[in-house]
Amino acid sequence: MPIHQGLHGDEVDFENIWGAIASAFREIHTKNASRLSYEELYRFAYRIVLKKKGEDLYLRVRQFEHEWLSNEVRGSIQALFSPNVLASPQSLGGTTTNERRVAGEKFMKGLKQAWGDHQVCMSMLADVLMYMDRVYCQDNRRPSIYTAAMMLFRDDILKTPTSDVEGRLVLDLLTHVILDQIQMERGGDVIDKHLIKSCVYMLEGLHEDDQESEELRLYTASFEVEYLETSRVFYRQEAELLLRESDAGGYCKHARRRIYEEEERCKSTLLEATSAKIQKVVEDELIKNRIHELVEMESGVRFMIDNERLEELNLIYDLNTRVDDKKTELTRAIQKRIVDMGTDANNAAIAASQAPATTADAGEKGKSPAQEKNINMQTVAAIRWVEDVLHLKDKFEKIWRDSFQSDNLLQTALTRSFADFINSPTFPRSSEYISLFIDENMKKGIKGKTEMEIDSVLEKAIVLLRYIQDKDLFERYYKKHLCRRLLMNKSISNEVEKQMISKMKIELGNNFTLKLEAMFKDMTISEELTSGFKHHVDGLGEKDPKRIELTINVLTSMTWPLETMGGTGDEEGKRPKCNFPTAIDKIKRGFEKYYNQKHSGRQLTWLANMGSADIKAVFPRVPSKDGSFKERRHDLNVSTYGMVILLLFNDLPAGQHLTFEEIQAQTNIPHSDLIRNLQSLAVAPKTRILIKEPMTKDVKPSDRFSFNEGFNGKFVKIKVGVVSSGNKVESDRERRETEKKNDDSRAFCIEAAIVRIMKQRKELPHQQLVLETLSQLATQFKPEVNMIKKRIESLIEREYLERIDGASLDSYRYLA
Amino acid sequence: MADSNLTEYVTLVSNDGFEFKILRSAACLAGAIKNSLDPTYGFKEGSDNRVTLPTINGVTLEKVCEYLYYNQKYAESKDAPDMEIPPELCLELLIAADYLDV
Repeated sequence: MPIHQGLHGDEVDFENIWGAIASAFREIHTKNASRLSYEELYRFAYRIVLKKKGEDLYLRVRQFEHEWLSNEVRGSIQALFSPNVLASPQSLGGTTTNERRVAGEKFMKGLKQAWGDHQVCMSMLADVLMYMDRVYCQDNRRPSIYTAAMMLFRDDILKTPTSDVEGRLVLDLLTHVILDQIQMERGGDVIDKHLIKSCVYMLEGLHEDDQESEELRLYTASFEVEYLETSRVFYRQEAELLLRESDAGGYCKHARRRIYEEEERCKSTLLEATSAKIQKVVEDELIKNRIHELVEMESGVRFMIDNERLEELNLIYDLNTRVDDKKTELTRAIQKRIVDMGTDANNAAIAASQAPATTADAGEKGKSPAQEKNINMQTVAAIRWVEDVLHLKDKFEKIWRDSFQSDNLLQTALTRSFADFINSPTFPRSSEYISLFIDENMKKGIKGKTEMEIDSVLEKAIVLLRYIQDKDLFERYYKKHLCRRLLMNKSISNEVEKQMISKMKIELGNNFTLKLEAMFKDMTISEELTSGFKHHVDGLGEKDPKRIELTINVLTSMTWPLETMGGTGDEEGKRPKCNFPTAIDKIKRGFEKYYNQKHSGRQLTWLANMGSADIKAVFPRVPSKDGSFKERRHDLNVSTYGMVILLLFNDLPAGQHLTFEEIQAQTNIPHSDLIRNLQSLAVAPKTRILIKEPMTKDVKPSDRFSFNEGFNGKFVKIKVGVVSSGNKVESDRERRETEKKNDDSRAFCIEAAIVRIMKQRKELPHQQLVLETLSQLATQFKPEVNMIKKRIESLIEREYLERIDGASLDSYRYLA
Repeated sequence: MADSNLTEYVTLVSNDGFEFKILRSAACLAGAIKNSLDPTYGFKEGSDNRVTLPTINGVTLEKVCEYLYYNQKYAESKDAPDMEIPPELCLELLIAADYLDV
């Protein structure tokens, strides 16, 4: 070529110039570019294109590359197909893993080398042919020569059969080799990740079609599909094997490790785009399809809960979360375990309370110490139950916090399960037991505890209360127990009582604590009354040395569950008036007068069965067993009835006696109360102030009583306990009564709710009325639908409602 | 392969024998020159740091170099001053620009 020829000279000799270009390209492909002038080659191509021979040049270059790849490169690749590479895992005949790995690496290295060379050469060629790309390819919408050459590599190398006899393509062989290597890594071998990654990049850089569409990259369209499928098979088999041979905890650890490994593999060996897909495969095969079996394994969730395997529970939570937002399987297992364990606690409580219950019912009239013990055992069982439940609660709370990352859904599930067994129809006593638990703590439990500790005890009670469905029943028990504590001064601290009530107020609302607060108010007013009355008596001037001090509790009859205090609630209304001794009667009348001055029109009913009295008693000089001979003074604390009985003996000459019937006639104390009081005064060994003839445990109407002059107590102050004064578990009979009363008051609540709803809605279908009634009462209790129906009937009878004739659904109308 | 050879200046040679020493960075603004000097390719120009341009005369190549520097200097700024181009050089320059891929 004459050097001084201009760019726009006359005709170009295409064949000649092409010959020069082709031989230069061969030099480039054999890495001999150093003697070539870029400018010269560029100028050749430039001129050809300028003379409108771009198409010829393009086709020639492509043909050149096709021939180069087919004749030079393919041969060098085929030289790498050793039998060890071609061996499929199915016919492993004679090849070891290591041999396969080495051969595979050699093959991949060769391919990687060929690919790399091709890329470098082609970018050099493309730069030389820059003007062709810029002008010819763009004007004729041809792919750039570089792209075209890449497609040639795909077609002439990857998509050719590995040999003349075998139909398998080089591409398939490559996929197979990579998968084989990955399988080796899963088995614990070390493989050349970089090498594989290079091959993966090659597959990613090439496309299935000539349009270079994104989703048809060779990697995605060919390799990835295969990879996911073989992995699926592998993990399916692995899951089966592991479930058979490993425990649940080990399985979880393994599964998590596999997920992590696959993620890492995508980063280091494959492409991150595959990460989500392969993880889905692992999750499906190792978790989703197996989670049920896993949870139910002998070493599954139940085992983990029972043995506090927090870490394993966390693993299983993590795994379950991956495949299921709702964590159905885990939730189900947890709920079942809670209900099972809760039911165990329930059954234990029932067993502990039922065994002695039979005898307790039989001996209703007179309670022997043995039966007393039984009742105590029941109370212990009740408190035990509460503690069991709290323990359970703590246990699952801990698991929830430490293993389940305080998951919201699981918290709801836990709450529901606790509510389930606490409100189980086979276990109707939870309300009573919780109230008893509080009672026990108020009387003894909190003694000597710090404020923090007390607060946590109260908080625990509230936690349980939250689960209780029949809040009204709880209120009934709580009132009853609180009543005893207040009137008998059993509470350790009024402050704590009030704290408890304010806690309940926060939890259950104002309505719930209204009456409880009223009880406290009555107590405060009564204190004022007592001191006011004392002041009043002082003001009367007459200083009576024998004056009796009166402490009075005026209780609003609607607020206090007094019938439960009386023991024999049936006689309500016609409660016989006890005959008080004159001295007492006088002060009683005095107080009535004083009270009426303050609040006119109020009726005071004296409940002698609930009071107590302190008596100073003098026992005369009689020779006693230890030889002493002196007067003994004792301060006796007895029930009001006991005081009335003892005062009878004041008027009786020494040595005389009174029969049971005489005592009853003179005092008018109810039969059962009298028996109990006489038992504690004459039978109980430490407080035998009266002598009973004959000396038996039971009190019969014909028995005679006389003053025990020889009584000798160890202490100056003696408390004469009256049988059955603490808060105990109810006997079955009492329980039936409580339930009946509760049902009665529920009936009122339901009616009130129905009327409220109907007043507002005027007309409503039956089904909706029932639903709204249920939702209105939800905070108090869950009424039976039957009961609601009955109340509706009753309201119709009383003409509050009427049925709407001809309505398609059963409907009611409110009658103003 | 030519890393050690990567000089700061390269030489451009015109068809009438003029040589222009020009900053490599400026020279590489022209696509064809850049490719020819690419150290990874190992063409002759790359190892010599010298590009012979048999289609461009000295006057035109001088203007080309001026433009390359001009381009490098004002590549970032918005209000570049106009470059003076003698009318008689216009055609030659256009052909050179197309050829060099400036």
